[in-house]
Amino acid sequence: MTVLVRVRLAVLERTIASGQVPTAGEIAADLDLPIAMVQEAYAKLGEAHVFVCDPDDPSRLRMASPFSAVPTAFRVSARGGSYYGNCVWDALGIVSLLGGEGSVETSCPDCSKALSLRVTGGKLAESGSVVHFSVPARRWWDDIVFT
Amino acid sequence: MLLFRSEEHVERSGKPKGAFMTPEQMWRLADIWYHDRDDPAWRRRSADEAEEVFAEIGLNGDFWRLT
Repeated sequence: MTVLVRVRLAVLERTIASGQVPTAGEIAADLDLPIAMVQEAYAKLGEAHVFVCDPDDPSRLRMASPFSAVPTAFRVSARGGSYYGNCVWDALGIVSLLGGEGSVETSCPDCSKALSLRVTGGKLAESGSVVHFSVPARRWWDDIVFT
Repeated sequence: MLLFRSEEHVERSGKPKGAFMTPEQMWRLADIWYHDRDDPAWRRRSADEAEEVFAEIGLNGDFWRLT
Protein backbone atom coordinates (compact mmCIF):
# COMPACT_ATOMS: atom_id res chain seq x y z
CA MET A 1 0.00 0.00 0.00
CA THR A 2 1.41 3.43 -0.93
CA VAL A 3 1.97 6.18 1.66
CA LEU A 4 -0.87 8.18 0.08
CA VAL A 5 -3.33 5.32 0.50
CA ARG A 6 -2.14 4.61 4.05
CA VAL A 7 -2.53 8.27 5.02
CA ARG A 8 -5.94 8.57 3.33
CA LEU A 9 -7.28 5.51 5.14
CA ALA A 10 -5.73 6.49 8.49
CA VAL A 11 -7.35 9.95 8.29
CA LEU A 12 -10.76 8.44 7.61
CA GLU A 13 -10.35 5.77 10.29
CA ARG A 14 -9.33 8.29 12.96
CA THR A 15 -12.09 10.72 11.97
CA ILE A 16 -14.72 7.99 12.16
CA ALA A 17 -13.44 6.85 15.55
CA SER A 18 -13.09 10.28 17.16
CA GLY A 19 -15.34 12.66 15.20
CA GLN A 20 -12.31 14.92 14.71
CA VAL A 21 -10.25 15.21 11.52
CA PRO A 22 -6.66 14.41 12.63
CA THR A 23 -3.56 16.55 12.30
CA ALA A 24 -0.50 15.38 10.37
CA GLY A 25 1.21 14.82 13.72
CA GLU A 26 -1.47 12.40 14.88
CA ILE A 27 -1.32 10.45 11.61
CA ALA A 28 2.50 10.43 11.72
CA ALA A 29 2.33 8.86 15.18
CA ASP A 30 -0.34 6.33 14.13
CA LEU A 31 1.63 5.21 11.07
CA ASP A 32 5.12 5.71 12.48
CA LEU A 33 6.05 8.11 9.67
CA PRO A 34 7.92 11.46 9.74
CA ILE A 35 5.50 14.42 10.04
CA ALA A 36 6.99 15.97 6.88
CA MET A 37 6.01 12.86 4.93
CA VAL A 38 2.42 13.07 6.17
CA GLN A 39 2.29 16.81 5.40
CA GLU A 40 3.50 16.00 1.88
CA ALA A 41 0.76 13.36 1.59
CA TYR A 42 -1.83 15.90 2.80
CA ALA A 43 -0.64 18.33 0.11
CA LYS A 44 -0.81 15.68 -2.62
CA LEU A 45 -4.28 14.54 -1.52
CA GLY A 46 -5.34 18.18 -1.62
CA GLU A 47 -3.92 18.69 -5.12
CA ALA A 48 -5.77 15.55 -6.24
CA HIS A 49 -9.07 16.93 -4.81
CA VAL A 50 -9.39 13.94 -2.49
CA PHE A 51 -9.15 16.14 0.63
CA VAL A 52 -8.98 19.92 1.08
CA CYS A 53 -5.95 21.34 2.93
CA ASP A 54 -6.04 24.13 5.47
CA PRO A 55 -4.52 27.05 3.51
CA ASP A 56 -2.75 28.35 6.63
CA ASP A 57 -1.38 25.15 8.16
CA PRO A 58 0.25 22.22 6.28
CA SER A 59 -0.46 19.96 9.27
CA ARG A 60 -4.22 20.37 8.99
CA LEU A 61 -7.00 19.49 6.60
CA ARG A 62 -10.09 21.65 6.10
CA MET A 63 -12.05 18.73 4.66
CA ALA A 64 -11.37 15.00 4.85
CA SER A 65 -14.23 14.42 2.47
CA PRO A 66 -16.95 13.67 3.29
CA PHE A 67 -16.03 14.96 6.78
CA SER A 68 -15.50 18.62 7.70
CA ALA A 69 -12.71 19.52 10.11
CA VAL A 70 -14.70 22.51 11.34
CA PRO A 71 -18.30 22.80 12.55
CA THR A 72 -20.84 23.31 9.75
CA ALA A 73 -24.61 23.54 9.35
CA PHE A 74 -24.72 19.78 8.60
CA ARG A 75 -24.59 17.68 11.72
CA VAL A 76 -24.51 13.92 11.15
CA SER A 77 -25.33 11.12 13.58
CA ALA A 78 -24.35 7.64 12.46
CA ARG A 79 -22.92 4.44 13.95
CA GLY A 80 -23.01 5.96 17.43
CA GLY A 81 -20.84 8.92 16.42
CA SER A 82 -21.40 12.58 15.68
CA TYR A 83 -19.80 14.37 12.72
CA TYR A 84 -19.94 17.46 10.51
CA GLY A 85 -20.44 17.17 6.76
CA ASN A 86 -19.21 19.85 4.36
CA CYS A 87 -22.60 20.13 2.66
CA VAL A 88 -25.77 18.06 2.34
CA TRP A 89 -24.08 15.79 -0.24
CA ASP A 90 -21.15 15.05 2.06
CA ALA A 91 -23.38 14.76 5.13
CA LEU A 92 -25.38 12.01 3.43
CA GLY A 93 -22.06 10.59 2.22
CA ILE A 94 -21.01 10.13 5.84
CA VAL A 95 -24.21 8.20 6.51
CA SER A 96 -23.45 6.00 3.48
CA LEU A 97 -19.80 5.45 4.44
CA LEU A 98 -20.90 4.44 7.94
CA GLY A 99 -23.32 1.78 6.74
CA GLY A 100 -26.45 3.55 5.47
CA GLU A 101 -28.04 4.16 8.84
CA GLY A 102 -28.18 7.64 10.39
CA SER A 103 -29.47 11.17 10.16
CA VAL A 104 -28.50 14.65 9.01
CA GLU A 105 -29.68 17.70 10.95
CA THR A 106 -29.58 21.12 9.31
CA SER A 107 -31.79 24.16 8.86
CA CYS A 108 -33.36 26.00 5.94
CA PRO A 109 -30.93 28.82 4.90
CA ASP A 110 -33.96 31.05 4.26
CA CYS A 111 -36.23 30.63 7.28
CA SER A 112 -33.98 28.70 9.71
CA LYS A 113 -36.58 25.97 10.20
CA ALA A 114 -34.89 22.79 11.42
CA LEU A 115 -34.73 20.14 8.68
CA SER A 116 -33.62 16.56 8.96
CA LEU A 117 -32.93 13.66 6.65
CA ARG A 118 -33.12 10.16 8.05
CA VAL A 119 -31.70 7.03 6.43
CA THR A 120 -32.78 3.63 7.70
CA GLY A 121 -31.53 0.39 6.21
CA GLY A 122 -30.09 2.25 3.22
CA LYS A 123 -33.41 4.00 2.45
CA LEU A 124 -34.06 7.72 2.82
CA ALA A 125 -37.31 8.66 4.56
CA GLU A 126 -39.56 11.15 2.77
CA SER A 127 -38.68 14.68 3.92
CA GLY A 128 -40.51 17.14 1.65
CA SER A 129 -37.45 19.40 1.42
CA VAL A 130 -35.39 20.26 -1.65
CA VAL A 131 -31.64 20.29 -2.40
CA HIS A 132 -30.25 23.31 -4.20
CA PHE A 133 -26.87 23.64 -5.97
CA SER A 134 -25.83 27.24 -6.70
CA VAL A 135 -22.63 26.45 -8.58
CA PRO A 136 -22.48 24.48 -11.86
CA ALA A 137 -20.49 21.23 -11.68
CA ARG A 138 -17.50 22.40 -13.72
CA ARG A 139 -16.95 25.31 -11.30
CA TRP A 140 -17.22 23.37 -8.02
CA TRP A 141 -13.48 23.33 -7.44
CA ASP A 142 -12.96 27.02 -8.26
CA ASP A 143 -13.84 27.63 -4.59
CA ILE A 144 -14.76 24.35 -2.95
CA VAL A 145 -15.41 25.85 0.48
CA PHE A 146 -18.06 28.17 -1.03
CA THR A 147 -19.47 25.36 -3.21
CA MET B 1 -25.15 22.21 -1.74
CA LEU B 2 -27.83 23.23 0.73
CA LEU B 3 -31.12 21.79 1.93
CA PHE B 4 -34.11 24.15 1.76
CA ARG B 5 -37.67 23.77 2.97
CA SER B 6 -38.99 24.26 -0.59
CA GLU B 7 -38.12 25.89 -3.94
CA GLU B 8 -39.99 29.00 -2.74
CA HIS B 9 -37.54 29.33 0.12
CA VAL B 10 -34.60 29.20 -2.33
CA GLU B 11 -36.16 32.13 -4.26
CA ARG B 12 -36.75 34.07 -1.06
CA SER B 13 -33.20 33.47 0.19
CA GLY B 14 -31.75 35.52 -2.68
CA LYS B 15 -29.12 32.87 -3.39
CA PRO B 16 -28.05 32.62 -7.03
CA LYS B 17 -30.41 30.13 -8.65
CA GLY B 18 -28.70 26.99 -9.84
CA ALA B 19 -30.22 23.52 -9.96
CA PHE B 20 -32.55 21.50 -7.79
CA MET B 21 -32.64 17.85 -6.91
CA THR B 22 -34.78 15.82 -4.57
CA PRO B 23 -33.35 14.55 -1.28
CA GLU B 24 -33.79 11.06 -2.74
CA GLN B 25 -31.53 11.93 -5.69
CA MET B 26 -29.06 13.51 -3.25
CA TRP B 27 -29.01 10.35 -1.15
CA ARG B 28 -28.45 8.15 -4.20
CA LEU B 29 -25.62 10.38 -5.40
CA ALA B 30 -24.02 10.51 -1.94
CA ASP B 31 -24.31 6.75 -1.58
CA ILE B 32 -22.72 6.02 -4.95
CA TRP B 33 -20.04 8.67 -4.32
CA TYR B 34 -18.97 7.83 -0.80
CA HIS B 35 -19.96 4.28 0.18
CA ASP B 36 -16.52 2.88 -0.72
CA ARG B 37 -14.36 5.85 0.28
CA ASP B 38 -12.55 3.75 2.90
CA ASP B 39 -11.68 1.01 0.40
CA PRO B 40 -7.90 0.90 -0.23
CA ALA B 41 -8.63 0.45 -3.94
CA TRP B 42 -10.84 3.57 -4.15
CA ARG B 43 -9.79 6.16 -6.71
CA ARG B 44 -11.25 9.48 -7.71
CA ARG B 45 -13.67 9.32 -10.63
CA SER B 46 -12.70 10.89 -13.94
CA ALA B 47 -14.91 13.71 -15.23
CA ASP B 48 -16.50 11.30 -17.71
CA GLU B 49 -17.24 8.78 -14.96
CA ALA B 50 -18.73 11.48 -12.74
CA GLU B 51 -21.02 12.62 -15.57
CA GLU B 52 -22.18 9.02 -16.00
CA VAL B 53 -23.14 8.92 -12.31
CA PHE B 54 -25.04 12.22 -12.61
CA ALA B 55 -26.94 10.90 -15.64
CA GLU B 56 -27.70 7.64 -13.82
CA ILE B 57 -29.66 9.53 -11.17
CA GLY B 58 -31.39 11.83 -13.65
CA LEU B 59 -29.09 14.87 -13.51
CA ASN B 60 -28.74 15.96 -17.11
CA GLY B 61 -27.99 19.22 -18.89
CA ASP B 62 -25.20 21.75 -18.98
CA PHE B 63 -25.28 22.43 -15.21
CA TRP B 64 -24.00 18.90 -14.55
CA ARG B 65 -21.34 18.85 -17.28
CA LEU B 66 -17.72 18.53 -16.19
CA THR B 67 -16.17 18.09 -19.61
